Amino acid sequence: MEATATLPSWRINLATIAALMARSKNELLRVPGAAIPGVLAPTIFFLGLNGVFGALTQLNGFTTGSYEAFIVPVSMLQGAGFTGAAAGVNLARDMESGWVDRLLASPAPRWVLLAGTVLAASVRALIPATFVLAIALALGAEWPGIDGFLIAYLMVFAMAGVGACWGAFLALRAKSQSAAPLMQSGMMALTLLTPAYAPLALLSGWLHAVAEVNPATDVLEAARQGFVGGVTWADTWPGLLAVAGLLVVLGALALRQMRRTAA
Amino acid sequence: MPAIVAEKLERAFGAVLAVQGIDISVEEGEIFGFLGPNGAGKTTTVRMLTTLLLPTGGSASVAGHDVRTEARAVRASIGVALQEAALDPLMTGRELIRLQATLQGIPTAEGRRRADSLLERVGLEGAADRRVGTYSGGMQRRLDLAAALVHEPRVLFLDEPTTGLDPVSRKTIWEEVRALNDDGTTVFLTTQYLEEADQLADDVGIIDSGKIVAEGTPERLKAEIGNPHLELHLADGSVAEAEARLGEIGRLLPPKDGRCVMVEVPNGPADIPRVVRALDEAGIAVESLELVKPTLDDVFVAKTGYHLASEDEEDAETEPVG
Amino acid sequence: MSTAALATNLRVVRGLGMRSVRQTFRRPQLIAPIIVFPTLLLAIQTGGAAAAVELPGFPEVQSFLQFMLAGAMMQSMMLAGNSGGIALAVDIEMGFVDRLFAAPIPRFAIVLGRLAGTAALGLFAAVWFLVIGLIFGAEIEGGVAGALLAVALITAAALAVGGLGAAIALRTGSASVVQGLFPLVLVLLFLSSAFFPEELMIEPAKTIAEYNPLSFIVEGVREPIISGIDATDTLVAVAAIVGIVIVGLALSARALRHRLRVG
Repeated sequence: MEATATLPSWRINLATIAALMARSKNELLRVPGAAIPGVLAPTIFFLGLNGVFGALTQLNGFTTGSYEAFIVPVSMLQGAGFTGAAAGVNLARDMESGWVDRLLASPAPRWVLLAGTVLAASVRALIPATFVLAIALALGAEWPGIDGFLIAYLMVFAMAGVGACWGAFLALRAKSQSAAPLMQSGMMALTLLTPAYAPLALLSGWLHAVAEVNPATDVLEAARQGFVGGVTWADTWPGLLAVAGLLVVLGALALRQMRRTAA
Repeated sequence: MPAIVAEKLERAFGAVLAVQGIDISVEEGEIFGFLGPNGAGKTTTVRMLTTLLLPTGGSASVAGHDVRTEARAVRASIGVALQEAALDPLMTGRELIRLQATLQGIPTAEGRRRADSLLERVGLEGAADRRVGTYSGGMQRRLDLAAALVHEPRVLFLDEPTTGLDPVSRKTIWEEVRALNDDGTTVFLTTQYLEEADQLADDVGIIDSGKIVAEGTPERLKAEIGNPHLELHLADGSVAEAEARLGEIGRLLPPKDGRCVMVEVPNGPADIPRVVRALDEAGIAVESLELVKPTLDDVFVAKTGYHLASEDEEDAETEPVG
Repeated sequence: MSTAALATNLRVVRGLGMRSVRQTFRRPQLIAPIIVFPTLLLAIQTGGAAAAVELPGFPEVQSFLQFMLAGAMMQSMMLAGNSGGIALAVDIEMGFVDRLFAAPIPRFAIVLGRLAGTAALGLFAAVWFLVIGLIFGAEIEGGVAGALLAVALITAAALAVGGLGAAIALRTGSASVVQGLFPLVLVLLFLSSAFFPEELMIEPAKTIAEYNPLSFIVEGVREPIISGIDATDTLVAVAAIVGIVIVGLALSARALRHRLRVG
């Protein structure tokens, strides 16, 4: 007797995505100390960058005197990128152990399986982001306003999804953890080849050129708005468009790769 | 309608042909044993039939659905327990079966009920809330089996279900497979153990280097190879005399040593009384008597020229590679 | 120690050392983070903060890249030390170290052999960044002698830091603990003059950097590159390295005794 689904398929899909997301929390809660690097690294970067490059605000071209405010969004997005890449590493590990076979041999649609991984990463990324923000505020950075806060968090959520799609794509291709450094350096390059450390005008030749075409620049500027000034639609929509574009492209690549991994 | 059909099923990896155009037909309610050494192509075949790998040639259908074009329907009809028990060490046994239920589209409450009953059925209700990482090998296999059954599949694929298990755990799995089959589930199992194929399978396919070299019921395959024979060691009396007497009952075989007589007994154990009486009448005393039946290994040797290597075979020779 | 015993020990160290070096360079996925990330970061930081050279008080340099090379080398070196510790911890977890302990070889030979791989990696990293620098137009003001000095200091520092990593590995016997210390590595480096001149750093990072032994090593490596060999800087760097070596040796010895007691 075949399993007869008594629920409409959208409910089944939702339940499956929720179940996969629930599983991903085990990584944080059931492995002692596993959460710490992911949560701490962005905060460490934030504190370090601030201590090291803080004097840059003296240069012409900086619209804000507070380097903390300037780089908080960088650290938040960096954390998002790494959380996403880590989801890719976990997927690769799951492929090596055969766990992914269990998922692929089930009737769950491939996009549902991918969505579970991606959404789990997006939600997880909010944790280090909150940590960094809390530390920054404690150090005297100004509250970005509720609109600035929400946009920054939205960008973090979406960027982690981008990282997870990229990581999943590589994991499904390599079928092993060997691609892990590429997952991480890819996201590092994406998030940092931007006006991360200094405004666009102050970037040196080649970086200026790259940052101008990098979609992550728009994402960063959108996330940064509230911290360095006011939130405007003109600064927001390019970021939304950019991150949506990245999600569509990398998500499609990952989905295609997942479909290729089995019939 | 056959539960599993494969026609000229083929899989190439680059220049290597791992599965070379095989034909399989498994009826509903049957236990099919796919027997062969490591690297023969068993796992590759299973992965194609369970839609985890696309064939590069030929066709296959499971539960009436084509593995290429109706993959999702195939997945809804099959239960799969693969060679690497695909478990998550951080989850508990109960959580894992519940997740499998969700993946199969079973509503939450029903999924929980089934998980509880399956855990009890495979004897894991005590360990159900412990992490899978703490389970022994036998427990993990039982959990894998339970998870494969959560949606009451029509066809069950077991890839080397008892490899690496101790004899007790092995027997437990066998009992469970038999019970499932009694309920009507078709079982496709791969194994490198002769005894497993012999004991469990209604039908056996022997695969070597990507090709099926023999197929049929275990009895028929063994009968094809030859009849059972009796091996007698004489305590007293003339070997020639014994051979003369026994030659009337069955064909004589070349003896192993001086005091040994070997005679084919086409009717198996039923011929033993005749043999004993014949020797008794001739005054020949027998020290020991052994009935030797052909095994599936003999079948394998006859078809391929070498032994099927396995842990419980004492005369296992080197495993073929690839 | 008799000459025969010395010869044996050297053979042992060489044997273990070659194993360690082979292990290190045979797995690209492990080397990649040690070389690729710092290179990426170097590119991003020099592109992003290049304008820093215009800050009043910035030392005389040909370019920001020239300034940053030492920092990149230090980063690689620290990661190499961390990775050496992880490798030793893995050996302990696998039981390989038990095999060594049961053999008639002195304990320090085991640690030294392990560190050979770390030193080789440090050397590789130093040469790598010198080459990168030269390719992208940075000049080594101290000439060939200066380059050799920088490489020697980095290699020695890799040994020293590796010794600390080994001590931690011996004490904990857990690869994941050593790996979890990676964020700490970053912190120590940020709180030094690796990435920015001490004088221009922001408090409290500035004060910490003034006393951080890593700063002394960085200066010893940087001087030959940006101006020329300076005896004082070199000696101070060597003293700092020796200091770390002594601490590492002491901790390793204690950890070894503890391990042998506890089994």
